[in-house]
Amino acid sequence: MRPLPRFQYHAPKTLAEAVQLMDTLENAKPVIGGTDLVPLLKEAACRPSHLVDLNNVAELNYVRERDGFICIGAMATHSQVAASELMRRAPAVVDAVSRIGSPQIRNRGSVAGNLCNASPAADSAPPLLVYDAEVKTVSSGETVIVPLPELFAGPKINCLEPNELVTEIRFPVPPGSSSSSFKRIARRKAFTLSIVSAAAYVEMDGDICNEARVAFGSVAETPIRAPEVEKLLSGTELDSKTISEAAEAAKRSVAPVTDVRGTAEYRKAMCGVLLERTLHAAVGRLS
Amino acid sequence: MEVSFELNGEPVTVTTEPYVSLLDMLRDEMGVKSVKKGCEQGECGACTLLLDGAPVTSCLVLAPQVEGRYVTTIEGLEKNPLMIDLREAFIENGAVQCGFCTPGMLMSAYALLRDNPHPGMDEVKRGIEGNICRCTGYTKIIEAILDAAERIAPE
Repeated sequence: MRPLPRFQYHAPKTLAEAVQLMDTLENAKPVIGGTDLVPLLKEAACRPSHLVDLNNVAELNYVRERDGFICIGAMATHSQVAASELMRRAPAVVDAVSRIGSPQIRNRGSVAGNLCNASPAADSAPPLLVYDAEVKTVSSGETVIVPLPELFAGPKINCLEPNELVTEIRFPVPPGSSSSSFKRIARRKAFTLSIVSAAAYVEMDGDICNEARVAFGSVAETPIRAPEVEKLLSGTELDSKTISEAAEAAKRSVAPVTDVRGTAEYRKAMCGVLLERTLHAAVGRLS
Repeated sequence: MEVSFELNGEPVTVTTEPYVSLLDMLRDEMGVKSVKKGCEQGECGACTLLLDGAPVTSCLVLAPQVEGRYVTTIEGLEKNPLMIDLREAFIENGAVQCGFCTPGMLMSAYALLRDNPHPGMDEVKRGIEGNICRCTGYTKIIEAILDAAERIAPE
């Protein structure tokens, strides 16, 4: 038996109410699926005085296109995002969220929560990084747009103020000539944290790759983009020589640590392997 | 605090605390012991039930979060034709050994076949990837689910 520490529970029905609660309550924590937070509460790794449950804030429950962006409401679960017709335009995101945890976790956990938890191994992060995602937050009635890389302040540390709520994740609608892929290496397909994960995005003009974007998970203090690798790939035909060179650059571009899941050397090597695999998969999706 | 919800089709109101999990509320305050308590961190799937029809691990749901919602445990599907097929297939295929994982496994299998009545082997594996069984090695469980799928009358 692992009892939960005591806290007061609030279930606002509107965003305005939620914002007001976050502004006025001391030591309050927002919760959506609780798939990360509840185990932390049980371990007493996190001791909020108040939980502000966003599950009844229906206005945050959507996946939609608006003003040239694909927008994911903070309440949208991994299952909802994975099943969204719109998200097929960003296949790497679907690759990631359709395999996070297990069906039970995906039915409860949200993409917003996965990002705010700021784990270096958060599987939704690398694909959203390659789509240049940004995060919309609100506090004291003020809305701010935070580029996703800035949300990640360190391992399991986000940049949010204590009263700041993420309301939406959004990224520009990708052009039809683009595709992407996300792949991970882990001990098993379900549940386990990634040892290394990678996402690749390509925008093609005939045989030429106009723009390539690459991101890795579990190889740094936060999920990261790899701009030097992207430079090598952009403007090329993505021939096998270029891809091998980019894979070598990918290995050089990361400085992972050795931990229980894998050694630094293994992680570096796998960055190269995953870069090749995700690039081939992304290009393959366009043919 | 009071929490009102529908459990297996019956409206219920329970006096509980916000820091009690749905799993503990069902087991300790309502006597529903079919939801098993395993890892208590959402990884073993023994406490799987349906929340508004979707399989979730009840150890990660807080009691007040089911206010106004629909909770289904295996008891609520006793006379459900698909669950009857699954139950019989589990017995006939030797998919039950110690039985601790069985209720949760059946709930995941039920949600899988309800949404996808004729899954392939890989889809079955994905459907039960959130449920751990330490006895069977999964082979018999996968065979039972595929067998149950064959018993479903074509529409």
